[in-house]
Amino acid sequence: MKDWRGWIVGVAAVLLLGAAPLSAQSITGTVTDSSSVRPLEGALVSVVGTGKRMLTKATGSYSFADLAAGTYTVRVQMIGYAPAEKKIGLAAGEDATLDFSLVLKPIELEELVSIGYGSVTRDNLTTAVSTISADDITATPNASSDAALAGRAPGVQVIQNAGNPGNAITVRVRGSASISASNQPLYVVDGVPIISEDLSQLGLGGQGIRAITGVSSEDIASIDVLKDAASASIYGSRGSNGVVLITTKRGRAGESSISFNSYFGTQRASKKIDLLSGPEYLTYMREGALNDGYDPDDYFPTSGANTDWQGEVFRTAPISSSELSAQGGTERIRYRASGTLFNQRGIVLASGYRRIGGRINLDFQAAPRLSIQTSLALSGERNDRVEADDNLFGIVGNAIAHEPYFPVRQPGGAYSNTADGMAYVNAVDLAEHDNARAVTNTVLANIEARYELGRGLQLTGRVGVDFYNLAETQYNSPLVPGSPGAQYGGVAKRSYSNGQRYVFDGFFNYDRSFNTRHVLNLTAGTSVERNNTDRNFVRGETLTDEKLHQVSNAATVTEFSGTFAENGLLSFFGRANYTLDDKYLLGLAFRSDGASVFGPNNRYGFFPGGSFAWVASRERFLANSGTISLLKFRTSLGRTGNQALSDYPYQGLFCTSNYGSEPGYQPCALGNPNLSWEKTTQLNLGADLELWNGRVALSADWYNKKTTDLLLSRPVAGSTGFTSFTDNIGAISNKGLELSVTAVPIQPARADGFRLVTSFNIATNRNRVTKLYQNQPFNTGYYDINRVEVGQRLGAFYAYHFMGVDPATGDAIYQDIDGDGNITTSDKKVVGNPWPDFTGGLTSTVSWKRFDLTGFFQFSKGNDVFNGMRVFSDEGGYNYDNKFREVLTRWQQPGDITRQPRASFDGVSGAREISDRFIEDGSYLRLADLTIGYALPEALAGSLRMTRARFYIRGQNVFTSTKYKGYNPEVNSNGSTGFGDNSSAQLATDFYAYPVARTWSFGIQAGW
Amino acid sequence: MFQRSMLLLAATLSLGACSILDTSPPDQLSDDKAIKTPGGARAALAGAYNELQDGFYYGGTMTHFGDLLADNANHTGTFTSYQDGFLHDFDADNSDVTGMWNHIYDAIKRANTLIDRVPAVTGFAAGEQEQILGEAYFLRALSYHNLVKHYGDVPIRLAPITDPASAGNITRATVAEVYAQILTDLGEAEIRMTNITNPDNHATVAAAKALLARVHLYQGNYALALAKAQEVEALGYALAPSYSDLFDNDDVNTTENIFKLTFTSSIDQANLFGFYWLSDQLAVGAGRFEIGPTQSLIDAYDTLSTDARLAWNIQPDINGGGYVEASQAGGSYGTKFPTTAGAEDFHVIRFAEVLLIEAESFAQLGQLANAVASYNPILARAGLDTDTLGVDITTQQQILDRIDVQRRLEFAEEGDRWTDLIRTGRAQAVLGISANQLLFPIPQSEIDAAPTVTQNPGY
Repeated sequence: MKDWRGWIVGVAAVLLLGAAPLSAQSITGTVTDSSSVRPLEGALVSVVGTGKRMLTKATGSYSFADLAAGTYTVRVQMIGYAPAEKKIGLAAGEDATLDFSLVLKPIELEELVSIGYGSVTRDNLTTAVSTISADDITATPNASSDAALAGRAPGVQVIQNAGNPGNAITVRVRGSASISASNQPLYVVDGVPIISEDLSQLGLGGQGIRAITGVSSEDIASIDVLKDAASASIYGSRGSNGVVLITTKRGRAGESSISFNSYFGTQRASKKIDLLSGPEYLTYMREGALNDGYDPDDYFPTSGANTDWQGEVFRTAPISSSELSAQGGTERIRYRASGTLFNQRGIVLASGYRRIGGRINLDFQAAPRLSIQTSLALSGERNDRVEADDNLFGIVGNAIAHEPYFPVRQPGGAYSNTADGMAYVNAVDLAEHDNARAVTNTVLANIEARYELGRGLQLTGRVGVDFYNLAETQYNSPLVPGSPGAQYGGVAKRSYSNGQRYVFDGFFNYDRSFNTRHVLNLTAGTSVERNNTDRNFVRGETLTDEKLHQVSNAATVTEFSGTFAENGLLSFFGRANYTLDDKYLLGLAFRSDGASVFGPNNRYGFFPGGSFAWVASRERFLANSGTISLLKFRTSLGRTGNQALSDYPYQGLFCTSNYGSEPGYQPCALGNPNLSWEKTTQLNLGADLELWNGRVALSADWYNKKTTDLLLSRPVAGSTGFTSFTDNIGAISNKGLELSVTAVPIQPARADGFRLVTSFNIATNRNRVTKLYQNQPFNTGYYDINRVEVGQRLGAFYAYHFMGVDPATGDAIYQDIDGDGNITTSDKKVVGNPWPDFTGGLTSTVSWKRFDLTGFFQFSKGNDVFNGMRVFSDEGGYNYDNKFREVLTRWQQPGDITRQPRASFDGVSGAREISDRFIEDGSYLRLADLTIGYALPEALAGSLRMTRARFYIRGQNVFTSTKYKGYNPEVNSNGSTGFGDNSSAQLATDFYAYPVARTWSFGIQAGW
Repeated sequence: MFQRSMLLLAATLSLGACSILDTSPPDQLSDDKAIKTPGGARAALAGAYNELQDGFYYGGTMTHFGDLLADNANHTGTFTSYQDGFLHDFDADNSDVTGMWNHIYDAIKRANTLIDRVPAVTGFAAGEQEQILGEAYFLRALSYHNLVKHYGDVPIRLAPITDPASAGNITRATVAEVYAQILTDLGEAEIRMTNITNPDNHATVAAAKALLARVHLYQGNYALALAKAQEVEALGYALAPSYSDLFDNDDVNTTENIFKLTFTSSIDQANLFGFYWLSDQLAVGAGRFEIGPTQSLIDAYDTLSTDARLAWNIQPDINGGGYVEASQAGGSYGTKFPTTAGAEDFHVIRFAEVLLIEAESFAQLGQLANAVASYNPILARAGLDTDTLGVDITTQQQILDRIDVQRRLEFAEEGDRWTDLIRTGRAQAVLGISANQLLFPIPQSEIDAAPTVTQNPGY
C-alpha cells in the first residue's frame, strides 16, 4: 500500500498551501441580455486566475467575496452568448460592481466541459474532448443515447450493428485498441461509471442489449467524450477506449418551469433487398440443376406462388416518446424531476421496445459550506426480441432465404412449412408463435456531498450505485413445424442477470490563484469500486400445453446454470492544472489502479498523463485582432489501460464437467499469473481557432495511439489439450486526424432574421496491427473472414480473390496465389478493409422568423462490408435460399462474358467459395435527420400561458446513398462485442441483420 | 473535525478495499486445489469421460466422419467442413479436423492429469485408486488410437503441461511409437483395474482387453487380437437378442455392452447423432440433416433383403420413394439414433465387434471354420441365414469380404467404416482417392503453435 502514504503527503501539502492568509474584498454585479435587457440566469461568471466561479441567479446577479486587493479580470460565459470580459482594480477594503450585457453568439458551444472528477471551461481545456449537446441527443431516435455521437463527434465511430429496437450499438473512440478485450468506451453518468455490458443470456445473433439504454436521452444535459490519453488517464486502467461522460440535467434556482416534449411517428423499413421473384427463382434453380446433370423435376415444380417474404414480415410501426419535466427551486434547494416514456414497435413482426423512466435530481445547500447533490433514476425497459442473424430460425434471415414460390399459407390455411418442402421454417409462423422478451429494471443513484474547506479547497464524497436487473424469457412453440419448438415439444428459457456496481469516491479539489498570474487547480482522491454479477439460466423442453410457456411447465430441464462473479477496483488519482497569465496551460494527471482481475504479480498499474496548451490569441500580438478571437495550440501525452476481459482471466481453473449423473471437473483454463493491462500511449496535437468573434470555429486534432501488451488468447499447440491461454502479447496502433468546423455563413442583423449555421466534421483513423504472438496471423468471425495480421488493419477481410467467370464453363475463377493448381487456404489474401478511410457529419440549420430547418448528414467512405447473406443467396443455387437479383446477369452459355458465375445446383461451379465477390463497398452518405420546426410567437404562447411552444416534423434516416446491396452498410452481425476469442476483430459482417427504419414523426416542445 | 472524519473515512475505504482485489470464481476451483481427495479424483475421472462426449469427438465429428468419408454417407447439409470431408478435400484449417484433434488431445490431457495427480492422493477405498488410474490409462490409449488412425504420426504427450512456453517443443512420434505407447497404456489399464465387466459406462478389464484386440487387429497382429478377443468372450459376453435393443433404449444393459459412453439430453452431455442424421421432415423433430445414407450402403443391405439392421438403421423416403439415397432434397434417413435430443448412449466397443475381430483373426490365420463360426451369430441376430463353410462360402478371401461387409452393416452410422477401409487397404479402391487422402491433415493451428510438427503429405 505504498500509494496510500504518498497520497497522504500530497493531501497534507494541499492543505498547507491553502492556509496562506489573505484580506477580503468583493465584486458583485448582474448579467443581462443585450437586446431584451432581461437578466440572464445561469451564466458562468469567473474571476480569471483565481479559480473562483459561480452561476448567476434568477435575477442575473453574482458576487465574489474574499478577494485580495489587486487587478482582476472577470469573465462571463453562457451558452448561446459571446463571452465577455472586464478588468477591474480592487484597492484594499474596496468592493466593486461590474455589470455585463451579453450579446447573442452565432455559435452555441457547451462552455463547461466535464473531464472526470471535475470540469473545466472549454477555453481552458488542454486535451481532446468532444461534446454533444442536449438538443443533438434528443434528436436521435435510438434507445441508446450515445447513438447521438454518430456523425457529431469527430473520431467517434458509431455503428448501429442492426436496426432492431433497443439494440446495443458499437462505439469506437479513435479506432480499436484491442483485439480480445472490449473496445467499447467507459460510460460514466454523473461521475459514476455505469454497467454498460451486454448481460443477456439469450443468444439472439448479432443483436445485443446494453444497460446504457436505461439512461433516457431526454434527461441528458451533455455528453463529453474524453478522446486522448491525457484526459482519459484519470480513468486509468479503463481509459484506453475513451471515456463517455454523461451529465444529466439539474434544476436551477428561480421560478419553476415545466416542459413537455413529445413526438409521434411511423417507421418503415428503409429498404428491401432486391431478390428473385417466384418464377425467376424457379427458372434459376432449375437451370442450376440441369447444369449439374440433375433432373429439375426431382427438386422443383415448374410454377408456384410469388411471395414477397420480406413484405410479409415487415410492417409499418409507430414510435413515440414523451417527456414531462419540472425544475426550479431556491438557492438552497433545487430540483429537477422528469418522467419519460419511449415506445418503439419494431418494423419486423414480433419486435419492439419500450422504456419508462423517472429521474429526480435534487441539489441542496445543507449548510453554508456543505452542498449535497443527489441523483436518482429508475427505468424499466421491455424489449421484445426476435431471433436474428446467425441461426436458422431468424425472422429476417428466413424472410430473405425463403423460396418465393411458396405461398405464406397453404390452401388449407396452415402456414407453409418445412413439411411442405420449404428449406427453412416459415418466418411469419415463427413471428406469430415464438417470442423472446428482455425486461430490465435499472436503478442508478448517487449522492455527492461537497464541503468547502475554505481558501479554494473542497472535499467531495460520492457514493454511487448501479443496480441492473435483467430478466429474460424465450419461448419456442411446438406449433411451428420444423422449429426447435416442434423438435422438443416446446422450449422455454428463463434467465436472470443481476449486475450491481458500488462506487465510493472521495476527492479534494483545490482551486486557487497566486498574485493573479498563477492559477492552480488540484484534484486528488481515491475510489473504490465493486462489481457483482449474478446470473442464472434454465432451459426446459417438452411443455405441458402450448398455452403454457414457462420453464416450470417443462417435462425436462436440459440446461441450467447459476453462479456469480465479482471484481473490484481500488484506485488513487490526481490531477494538477496550472495556468500562467491565462495563456499557458499545463495539466498533469494520473491514476493508480489496483484490479482484482489481474494476478498478484501485476495487480497495480500507474497511468499518467500530461498536457500543455498555449492560448496564442491572448498574447499581445493577437489580443486586439479583429479577425482571430481564439487561437489555441494543445499537446498531450498520456497512458491508459484496458482491462475489460473477464473477471478471472489470470487463474488456472478446473471447471464443472459432468459425466452422466457423475459430477466431474476438468482443467479448463491455463493460468497466467503475470497477466496485466493492455497499455495505450497516446500523443495528441491539437489546435482551436475562432474567427470573427466566433463566426467560424475550427478545431483540429492529430493523434498517434499505440497499444501494447494486448490481452490475447495466445495459441498453444492443441496437442496440449488446451488451445490457448490469455497473455499480454501483441500491439496495435491507431493514428488519425480529426477536424471540425462550425460556421455561420449567414448572420442576420436582427435576432429573427435569416440565419444559416453549418457544422462539419471529418475524421480519419489508420489502424494497424503491429505485433502478434510470434507474429502469427489468425482469423476470426463468420467464415473466418476477419484477419488479424501484422501490418494489416484489425479484422481485414481475408478470403479468395475472385478473378471472374470462365467464359467457357461459367465456373468461378479464383486467384491461385501459390500457383499449385488448386485453390486452397494458402490462396487466401487480404481482400478488403472493414475500416472507413474517413467518417463524419454535416449539420446545417437555417432559421428565419419563427421557422427552423435542420439537415444532418452522416457519411463513411472506404469501408467494406462482408455481405454474408450472399454465401447462401449468391452461391449458384447450392442452397435453396432465394437469390439476390444479381444472379440474373449470370453466365448461361459458352461465350457469355459476365462476373456472375453460372447456376450450379451442387456447388461445383465454385460460386460458393468465400471470396471478395461477397465483399462490398460499404461507403455511404445518409441524410440522418431532416427537421422543420415552427415556434409559436411569444405573444400567442403567452396567451396560452406558455413560455415556449414549438412544433416540428422530423424525418430520420431519410435516405442513404450507398452501393451496398444489403439493408444497411452500417452493420455488424457480430454485435458490439463479438463472440469468443478475438471478438473485437470481428467486424463489418452482415449476416441477416435486422434492417433499419426510416422514421417520420411529428413533435411538440412546450414549456410553462 | 469534519476534515478529519472524511480523511478517516477515505482511509477506511481504501484499506478495507484491499480485500476486494482478491477474488476467485465461486463455481470453479483453482488449479492448485483440484484433485486432492478421492472425491476430487472421481470428479476428474468423470471429467475425463465427459470429453469423449464432445461434439468433435465421439459425440459428433469423429463418429460422423467415419461414415461420411467412407461409402456410407452423403453430405446433405450446409457445413463446408463436412462437405470438404465428404469430398476428401480437406484443408489444414478445416474446423472439424482441427476440432477433432484438439478435443482428442483434450481427452488425453484429462487422462494425463489423472495419471499425474491421483498417485499422490490418499484415502481411497481398497482398489479404487488403481481402478481410477487404470481407467485413465485406458482413456489415454483409446484417444491415442483414435488419433493414430486418422492422422498417422502424432505427438505423444504423457504429462499435463505446466509451462505453456515449452508446449510448442514437440515433434510427431511415428505410428509404430504411438502404437507402442497404446499397448503400454492398455497393459497398465488391464493390470490396474479391478472392475471386470461393470459398470459398462466406464472402462473395465473387459474393455481394456477388447480395445487391445482392436489395436492388435489394426496392427495386423492376428494371433494377439484373437487371444484378446477370446479372453473377452470368456468373460461371458453374448450378443443382444435383438439388434434394436442396443440402441432404442439407453437404459437397457444388454449382455453385448462392453464400454458404452453415456449421453444425456442435457445440452452439455448430448450427442449430435440424431440432430445430424435426421431431418425436419420427420415426425421425430427437426434435425439439420447434415448427412444421410448412400445408395451403396442401402444396396449393401438390400441384397440381403431381410436384414433387421436395415429397418433400424435406415428409414426409406417418407414421400414413398423407397430406399433412395439421401440428397439435399431428402431421400432416406439414417435413423440408428432415433431422436434429436442426443440422449442415446454410444457403444465405443461392443461384443459384436469382438466377434468380428475374432472371425477376422481366425480367417487371417487360416482357421476358416472357426472364422465362420465366429461371425455366424452376427448374421443370425440380423435375421439372415448363417453360412456353412464349403457350402455358402469357401475361400479365405470370400470370408474376409463377408466380414468386411458385416462390419459395415453392423456398425453403419457408428463411425467405424472409414478407418476400417483404411485398415483393410480397401479405401483407395472403394473411394477412388489417393494415398495422401488416407490421412487427415495435421491442423494448421498445431503447426503454427508448434512449428516442429510437420504436415502430412499432400496438404
